[in-house]
Amino acid sequence: MLRVLIADDSRVMRQIVIRTLRQAGYDWDVREASDGVEALAAVQADEPDLVLSDWNMPNMTGIELLGAMRSEGYGTPFAFVTSEGSAEMREAAEQAGALFLISKPFTAESFRDAIEPVLA
Amino acid sequence: MNDTAVDQMYAIAEQVFSAMIDGDVGPLQPWMGDVPAIVDPIVGWVDAHGGWTGRAALTTSRPVAYDLTRALLRMDAHEEVVMEDLVDAYGELVNVVGGNFKALLPASGTLGLPMVADTLPEVVGAVPMEGLNLAWRGHLIIVSIWMFG
Repeated sequence: MLRVLIADDSRVMRQIVIRTLRQAGYDWDVREASDGVEALAAVQADEPDLVLSDWNMPNMTGIELLGAMRSEGYGTPFAFVTSEGSAEMREAAEQAGALFLISKPFTAESFRDAIEPVLA
Repeated sequence: MNDTAVDQMYAIAEQVFSAMIDGDVGPLQPWMGDVPAIVDPIVGWVDAHGGWTGRAALTTSRPVAYDLTRALLRMDAHEEVVMEDLVDAYGELVNVVGGNFKALLPASGTLGLPMVADTLPEVVGAVPMEGLNLAWRGHLIIVSIWMFG
């Protein structure tokens, strides 16, 4: 079973992401982190198969988390789930090594559209 | 805000409420008629800095915010909502609306973290732009955009 770490400072949004993953048919093992610092510690303790991270979080943002992981040698597949989906942010995410960026609001279909090509 | 901007704001709200809350576009409509004062208000806002500087805010009555939280969390109609979840859910709703509005703008910048309170704090030099009045399940929700000077 694929193990995913969901990083978002909103507990409500983490619940919605988990629910949407289930609706999209991904019955994955899920762990949660409430900011980038907590997520980095979770990766260091037990590296997941995928990180789904919010962009804008206190203490350490999603893009800072991705940078910190890569600088520490973690090549963990990483993607953003964020309220801003501008072309500028998508480009920044791609340049930093993210697999995809899902913008909020999302649906089970938009999750499948982003995730399926990566799993294939 | 011109008609195009209002249309875009309505499209954003419709998309957000449909995807996150209702599952379809029916329960959210433009508010028709006079706009009453909101009793027992709650307001959520998110500020942008660094490029376009301004604020997106959602104002409604507290009971409606509780219902929005229940809908977001797929809770039963009379299930108790704790304050932490109310602030989290309402703030996240504002965050998604604000993030999508900011994505429409040509200027880059940074979106802050969402805030929730009884009243909207004043910002010196802030200019209110025309808002958007929505009816969600018949209840008034006001979307307002402010530009900072």
